[in-house]
Amino acid sequence: MKRVFEHPPEKLTGKRYWRSLSELSDTPEFRGWLEREFPAGAAQLEGDEWSRRGFLKLMGASMAMAGFGLTSCRRPEAHLVPFTKSVEWAIPGKALYYATAMPRRTGGLPLVVTTHDGRPSKIDGNPLHPASGGATDAFAQASILDLYDPARSKRFVEKGEKTEKGRKVENFEARDRATFEKYLADLRTQIAADGGAGLAFLVEEVHSPTRERLRAELVKAYPKMRWCVYDPLLTEAQSFATQLSFGENARLVPRFERADVVLALDCDFLDCGEGDVAGVRAFSSRRRVGEAKDTMNRLYVVENRFTLTGAMADHRLRCPASQIPAFVRALAGKIAVATKDANLGSTIATLTEPAGAMKFDEQWLTECANDLMAKPGASLVLAGAHQPVVVQLMAYAINSALKNVGSTLIVREFVRALRNNSILQLAGEINSGRIKQLFILGGDPVYNAPKGITIDKDTKAPVDWDELQKKVPDVVRLGYFEDATSELSKWHVPAAHYLEAWGDASTSEGAYLAIQPMILPLFGGVSEIEMMNTVLGKPKVEGPELVQETFRATAPPGDFATAWSALLRDGFAAHVVLKDKPPTFNSNNAGGVAHTLWATAPEPTLDAPEIVLTRSYAMDDGRYINNGWLQELPDPITKLTWDNAALMSPVQAKHLGVNTGDLVNIAVTETTKDVHGQPIKRELVIAALVSPGHADNSISVALGYGRKKTGPIGEEAGFNGYLLRTSSNPHYLAVDGKTIESITVTTSPTPALPPAPSTTPGAPSPTPTPASTPNRRLHNLGTYALSITQDHWSIEGRGLVREATVEHYREDPEFVKKIAGDEELPAKLPSIYSHPPLDAEQQWGMSVDLNVCTGCSACIVACQSENNIPIVGKLQVSHGRAMHWLRLDRYYASEKPFNQDRGEYPENPEIVHEPMMCQHCENAPCETVCPVNATVHSEDGLNVMAYNRCIGTRYCANNCPFKVRRFNYFDYNQRPVGKKKIGPLSVYQEYLGPLTEKGAPDTTKLQKNPNVTVRMRGVMEKCTYCVQRIETAKIAAHVHAGASNKTRIPTDSFTSACAQACPTDAIVFGDVKDPESRVSKMKKQDRNYRLLEYLNVNTRTSYLARIRNPNPKMPDANRIAVASLGHESSENGAKAKHDKAAPHPEEKP
Amino acid sequence: MANFFPRWTNWLPLKLSICGIIIVSGLTGATWYYVTPKYTRVGYQPIQPVPFPHDIHVSQLGMDCRYCHSFVDVAAHSNLPNTQTCMACHTQVQKDNPKLEPVRASWKTGQPVEWVQIHRTPDYVYYDHSAHVNRGISCASCHGQVNHMPVVYHAKPHSMAWCLECHRHPENFLRPETQITNLDWKPDWEKPADFVAKYGQPKDATDDWSKKQKLTQKEIGQTLKERWNIKPPLNCQGCHR
Repeated sequence: MKRVFEHPPEKLTGKRYWRSLSELSDTPEFRGWLEREFPAGAAQLEGDEWSRRGFLKLMGASMAMAGFGLTSCRRPEAHLVPFTKSVEWAIPGKALYYATAMPRRTGGLPLVVTTHDGRPSKIDGNPLHPASGGATDAFAQASILDLYDPARSKRFVEKGEKTEKGRKVENFEARDRATFEKYLADLRTQIAADGGAGLAFLVEEVHSPTRERLRAELVKAYPKMRWCVYDPLLTEAQSFATQLSFGENARLVPRFERADVVLALDCDFLDCGEGDVAGVRAFSSRRRVGEAKDTMNRLYVVENRFTLTGAMADHRLRCPASQIPAFVRALAGKIAVATKDANLGSTIATLTEPAGAMKFDEQWLTECANDLMAKPGASLVLAGAHQPVVVQLMAYAINSALKNVGSTLIVREFVRALRNNSILQLAGEINSGRIKQLFILGGDPVYNAPKGITIDKDTKAPVDWDELQKKVPDVVRLGYFEDATSELSKWHVPAAHYLEAWGDASTSEGAYLAIQPMILPLFGGVSEIEMMNTVLGKPKVEGPELVQETFRATAPPGDFATAWSALLRDGFAAHVVLKDKPPTFNSNNAGGVAHTLWATAPEPTLDAPEIVLTRSYAMDDGRYINNGWLQELPDPITKLTWDNAALMSPVQAKHLGVNTGDLVNIAVTETTKDVHGQPIKRELVIAALVSPGHADNSISVALGYGRKKTGPIGEEAGFNGYLLRTSSNPHYLAVDGKTIESITVTTSPTPALPPAPSTTPGAPSPTPTPASTPNRRLHNLGTYALSITQDHWSIEGRGLVREATVEHYREDPEFVKKIAGDEELPAKLPSIYSHPPLDAEQQWGMSVDLNVCTGCSACIVACQSENNIPIVGKLQVSHGRAMHWLRLDRYYASEKPFNQDRGEYPENPEIVHEPMMCQHCENAPCETVCPVNATVHSEDGLNVMAYNRCIGTRYCANNCPFKVRRFNYFDYNQRPVGKKKIGPLSVYQEYLGPLTEKGAPDTTKLQKNPNVTVRMRGVMEKCTYCVQRIETAKIAAHVHAGASNKTRIPTDSFTSACAQACPTDAIVFGDVKDPESRVSKMKKQDRNYRLLEYLNVNTRTSYLARIRNPNPKMPDANRIAVASLGHESSENGAKAKHDKAAPHPEEKP
Repeated sequence: MANFFPRWTNWLPLKLSICGIIIVSGLTGATWYYVTPKYTRVGYQPIQPVPFPHDIHVSQLGMDCRYCHSFVDVAAHSNLPNTQTCMACHTQVQKDNPKLEPVRASWKTGQPVEWVQIHRTPDYVYYDHSAHVNRGISCASCHGQVNHMPVVYHAKPHSMAWCLECHRHPENFLRPETQITNLDWKPDWEKPADFVAKYGQPKDATDDWSKKQKLTQKEIGQTLKERWNIKPPLNCQGCHR
């Protein structure tokens, strides 16, 4: 009989942690997730037409038949194939590491790429360069999968026409490169004839000096050509405001390490994908506390939805995005009065209080302003890049008034010789028929260009990009996928991955990075600079000549060949340094423009909420749509996989009468008129997701999903938010009377217009949801299955997350040892199982600092990439079969009791992220129940899995209190994952199981780490502490020792994949027996605690408690970070309970 | 008196005995196959594209193993020689030997020679050559006396039990680091005085080993094991990741 451990009871009042609204209301679904390791029916292949049992019966029969042939009796002959000639540096079986960089919207990210026998297999940060410091983010980690994407574009395609059944239809014909080059040569003579007057380039922002150089050459050759940079998430508002306030060629670089107080206004700077890794590192360096006397920075966040930055905040104010201008104006007013700063005063002088704008908490505003002013030169106000120009200007003026410019906000000189056109200008020119040859390098404007981009000269109605593109006779498109833009182009050219081509990039701070190829283009892809070189009519280059020429122009010191090898070795050129500009804020310019542009929408209402279009943490702008790792990566806040959704607060959801998963129709009516003189109405049908902590009257939609024509992974994933996006409202849509007349959100489709086919979800047959509340309206749109992992792997037990305020920590540095309710715990008993001898010279352990963990999820993808973890598909995720060894538990903490019937919702919870992986218990409960000894302990403290012994009883997973074991229900590594309509049943399935051909695509096999077993069906697996890295380090130490006894691995000479990727060094791995190792020092801190210590499992992974730094004068100060202390308010309750607490035994290494 | 046994039990002894015979013969057959060296491929000697005679190259010409298997002491894999390595000598020596035609063809065309693999560890075993040959384990311990093989064959079983024999008692196999690629080495060759002067002797040895006539393998192994801190892994993670 199963013995059920009685965890100490959870208190029912006061502040507590919870994972989802269903946990708060204790629904049966949540109980199911909590009580079972795997959900009921997890062992059944879904769809019921193929039960696992039936399948096994069939397989058993075919096995028996196969036995007659005795086919498996003879061993296959294998061959060993050496090189003919030796290859430079190549040692068979040994990894090689190359420095390179990933081109990004905000600047290059320096990388070190691991290659095995010539194939790149893992990406890590370049520890030599401060722009990475060895850290990466989820996108850099996942980009290696894009290289091997079987769905990427592999051919040159020419669009022509053919006659079919008497009608002319478009015909796409695959061509070879020579044909394309001949076409291009002809095109070049056309271009040269009129000096490039009809030539235009539409490119993405990649910060490549070589591209800039080639562009200058193009301008020289074709002086009348146009160059347009478009990236949907690149904001022109911010760069315009920066140029205006600090002069031409200026760029602002925040210096978080100098800031004591930071105010983020709708600015998600902790999102590595948007900001940069260096900024996140700098911020967390001021967040880290070693002991109670250490100080930390304070973070105020004003935002409409929970972002990673909001989750780190000490004080968070929910505010619709359209009300940020009003908030900044109110704040600027307070600071202007107090500091009497002339610049700030003149900037905001003419801005009147907007009518109908939101009213803000006066105390919040005053105390936040006071706190900022108390630290002149050490505070920092950041406005989100997508906020309008006037917000940017006010934020700069506030920083200038607070003397931050030049101190926490550096002005960097960024010389841009030539100015870019915007896509709007380009659209205008196409519309007027001036553009004859258009080169679209990267991007997917048909998918992501603003809707209604220009006014058609004939019909006087707005037109979309796809209509415009059809008007250009010669469109050449360099793309990674054959997508919607390629379909409307004359030529499609396959693009090379950045790991396949030479290039260069500059970081956000202006350092020069080299991009070197690791592998020849797998499918003959062409890089952007090669393409430009061809347009220039220069001879074809095979090697790095184009980049070398740019590098030569930077005047490297010494001999060029030596400098070039040093650049390739280090990945960056140390001699390229950008100068700072004098930090003078031009208030004349700013004030004038602010006055002209000042406009604020009235406060949105529950009936007409604002729609905020946000960057997705997984898809970026949609470019990663076919990347399975990122699709399956749970969103850090909502834990949603494989989709996006309309996030809304519980109050908003109740008002609309929807629950998570219900489809809603968002209809935006614009003031502009269409061809028939009717106001333009843009609609999006999207699933709702109730997100606690979201601002009321506001709905967030992540962009980047719903992209058509990618690969099987990205098909039918999510809803296309770009359908609502126009150039006048790139970030949020609010009823302002100027551009938008009305916004309605309904649960029924508009009768006049059926939902656009592009937004009709490919959901499995909609299941009717029973009407649970009386005010629920009739649903016409039905529901949509969302795979949300927030309840999966819920852990029972107490004190999982512990946090306190910095003041409480100073009063009681040992607070972490006392958890609420611990006086009710049974006395700790000795273990009745024999312990393994932990007698190795080095003992491995891990420490996770919750105080600096931002929840960015880089560790999850790094683990997936290092350990050959497969993706399983959306439906499999919803069945609880996701294979991530490392998961991020996101806990909300709130005080208000939850009672939906009485209309009580947790409105403004806090968030704590907790990375959770195998804890490597010394008294591991999993080991004692394994009938075949497949999971055992090693003498250096690892709980190891011998996959070959595992027979798949899953007892170990059932006995794991942390729920970190994952079971291969199916052969995920052997079967393609993708969505497909199968047979006459028309069932959407991601894991196609026995109905597909066995065997993964060859290209995805190339990515696998050769040092880690690729697990098969029926095998249990879990975090191994990257045992392959431990063993490699051990072997290296032994080889180095040779005929001596110095076999010790040097302290901190290697680390696990998650710790290596972590941008904030929250995860630290190493030898816990060595007092000098970083992990030992972390574990000695007084914030150190181990999970479920009362179960006597003696985990090797320990956590450092979260510390928050609230401002005591703020209205919500005494509600912050008290949930784990187990009392109603933060004052005296804690001490009374702590006195009774039993001392816990010291943690043994 | 009623029948205690129903009718069908009449045939039971026969059925049981037939089942018994099938099971027993099956077990015998399985054992016959799986525990004999044949299962572990001992004696496997495939036909190679070029009948490379290790005995001539090593024993007669005195070439070191590492001339061709050049990365055996730095990498997990012991590499096979490139065509380039073969052609370094065979452009002058035996340059018209018809047996070498595949090598010459490879050098001309750039297509590698496809050697047939003899020693093969399963995919879930992560064996590292460098960790062994740098720490006193000779090539001969796993591959046998390759220097006397005209054509290489699989000499040792390479089963997990066989691995563990050495991992449990490495002293039975360790030899001085200078003798790793000397496949003919015998413990008798070591002069006790020189050996003890260089490596010392185990702490718990009571008598002075340098005065001995001969050293046994066990004595040499124990000395080296202690001196080099040899602790072969016995847990799963050592070989399975």
